[in-house]
Amino acid sequence: MTMTRGLRKFVLTAHVTFTVGWLGAVAGFLALAVAGLTSQDAQMVRAAYLAMELIARFVIVPLSLAPLLTGPVLSLGTPWGLFRHYWILVKLLITVLSTILLQVHLQPIRYLSGAAAEGSLSSADLRLQIQMVVAASAGLLALLVATTLAVYKPRGMTPYGWRKQYEQRTESPADCRSFGKTDR
Amino acid sequence: MSQTNVGPDRGSTTSTPPGTPRWVKVLGIIAIVLILLFVVLHLTGNNLGCPPPGGPHTPPGCPADTPSGDAGDTPFVTRMATPPVEYGVQQT
Repeated sequence: MTMTRGLRKFVLTAHVTFTVGWLGAVAGFLALAVAGLTSQDAQMVRAAYLAMELIARFVIVPLSLAPLLTGPVLSLGTPWGLFRHYWILVKLLITVLSTILLQVHLQPIRYLSGAAAEGSLSSADLRLQIQMVVAASAGLLALLVATTLAVYKPRGMTPYGWRKQYEQRTESPADCRSFGKTDR
Repeated sequence: MSQTNVGPDRGSTTSTPPGTPRWVKVLGIIAIVLILLFVVLHLTGNNLGCPPPGGPHTPPGCPADTPSGDAGDTPFVTRMATPPVEYGVQQT
């Protein structure tokens, strides 16, 4: 199943936009988390946690879910496949795990936002505030690794990918010669 | 996953599958360490996704009671006026 050139370009554009947008949104989230943790200005702290919830709910969550759709579609619609190369598999795992961790952290984000809105943030919330900085940093690092993998595409085929390619080679050498040309 | 410019890796030409690349092993070890760290943190009471016990917005499934050694709900304004060194000290 190979996509047409036009469709592939469209899905690729969407995928790059979503993933890079996700990276940028997490970077912004991290800046707000650091401001909320370190600032001595009460208004700044309140604004930071209120903005963090908005960014998480309306920007980061949609941008984290979209690549889970565009990534597999793009992989399965090209000769790369979804399970044939380690870098694609690792990227998929990073995306899935990051999305799960994000969902787990929505509850404390909502809590901090609510407490900031009511002006009831206390020293007991300090651990949660630190957790926000740590989680955002970890998420940013994971997304940077995923972006690096997408650009460098390190070599390494999975046993499944190798088997599939071996079957293709033995079945039709002509197809093998054109393997990968659709990507250029 | 920007699959442009370069075609897929053609892999080994031999009849035996290639081994796992070193970079995959390194990333795997890092992932295992992070998962173990997460499990240890969770087992030691640092529940991810749960606000501090006794807070006003405690969700279902999270501990609701305030532990005896907890700092309690020091108002935000008080916290701002409190030197950072005293964070976490029991308020009386």
